[in-house]
Amino acid sequence: MRKQGIDFHTHPVLVREMVERHPSLAEAARRTYFIGNNFQPLETFHLEMDLAGIDKAVVLPTGQPASVGDSGWTNERIAELCGMSQRFIGFATVDPHRADASDQLRCAVKVLGLQGLKLNPPIQVFFPDDPLAYPLYETARDLGLPILFHAGMSWEPGSRLQYGHPLRFENVAATFPELRIVLAHLAWPWVVEAVALALKYPNVYLDTSALYFDNPPDFLKFAMTHQVPLTVFERSLRKQVVFGSNYPRVEIKNMASAVDQLGFSEECLNHIFRTNAETLLEVVR
Amino acid sequence: MIVKLTRIEVQSRQDMEMIDITAQIERAVAESGVRDGLVWAMTSHTSAGLLVTEGIECLERDVLAHLERLAPKRPPEGIYGYWHNRYLDFDGRLGFNAGDHLKSILGGVNCLFPVENGRLVRGSRQKAYFVEYDGPLARTVLIQVLGEGGSLNDGA
Repeated sequence: MRKQGIDFHTHPVLVREMVERHPSLAEAARRTYFIGNNFQPLETFHLEMDLAGIDKAVVLPTGQPASVGDSGWTNERIAELCGMSQRFIGFATVDPHRADASDQLRCAVKVLGLQGLKLNPPIQVFFPDDPLAYPLYETARDLGLPILFHAGMSWEPGSRLQYGHPLRFENVAATFPELRIVLAHLAWPWVVEAVALALKYPNVYLDTSALYFDNPPDFLKFAMTHQVPLTVFERSLRKQVVFGSNYPRVEIKNMASAVDQLGFSEECLNHIFRTNAETLLEVVR
Repeated sequence: MIVKLTRIEVQSRQDMEMIDITAQIERAVAESGVRDGLVWAMTSHTSAGLLVTEGIECLERDVLAHLERLAPKRPPEGIYGYWHNRYLDFDGRLGFNAGDHLKSILGGVNCLFPVENGRLVRGSRQKAYFVEYDGPLARTVLIQVLGEGGSLNDGA
């Protein structure tokens, strides 16, 4: 039986207690995150984790463009949520276009206690290898922060898929070998390219939060067995894959069960669910 | 004529679970002021339901096991595979819980009891259950009591 896990990819957009404190978050859930589900007590989030064998979760801001302002899940609100539960690990986001992006990131870490950076190139409208973002990457590296990038397919209206193509991350991985970057959603549909990147660059990780058709077991079997053989993940990338659910777009229980059933060894599952995430999170300076 | 609607929240803690809500329905009756009439309850969700059956744990397990047999979470092979297995653009997420919706249809989403002399009338073995098919979630149950008011007959 595998260890209790860390979910590296969740969005707290439906937490009722936060929506009651900040009513604009209700609008953000509907208009920015495009989800129609009912708001749920924080307890439901914890119960989801319990049911899936997950004891901690990375909670992510929505990475909205600067034009949305502070009506959504800002760094301050992520920090506020983390103050309500010791089971959450908060990540920050900043807009790489802003001249003070690095200062904002330092503030998010030093003042708010956040432990990673989430960037969403298709929504924030920048190519990951655009030098405009390099000062931010230097800051993240110097702070010891992992960066979780949205990669691959984007559903959001108006977003462009080209910003999330995994090959646009190669220069980042090569230029910043000490910077640990996670490509979310297996960068689907470009799983082969994302795997190539991870094979070549040990500072590139992949998260499992991929679901674009059918259901978690069928989709992950396709992506992690047919698109790329499972043995590649087991033998070559077992220390570079982290479990992510993309909750609440996908229930944690369903994604965890799908990963558990893929056919990995217990050792590999322990890496995917636990130790790789711990490795990514352990170096915050 | 009194018509009184009460909303209660039920927090399920498991993927599939039966939760006895008989006491909450009886409380709604007692607080309604209705002496003689009826009470009905309905869950407002489509992957949950309400059922009336004998209130024992072994039977709860059988009910859940056989609803899962009839409408499994994993899509059956072949022509009975689920269409509800795709991205729902209006909902911002994929819909892949057809089996749970089908269980809700099979088991139903409401139950009805008579009210006599201010009390809910039921068989001695009967319990009203909220049934979760896709938890854990905080769910809503509507309880409506309808009937005539008036002083209760104390049986003296």
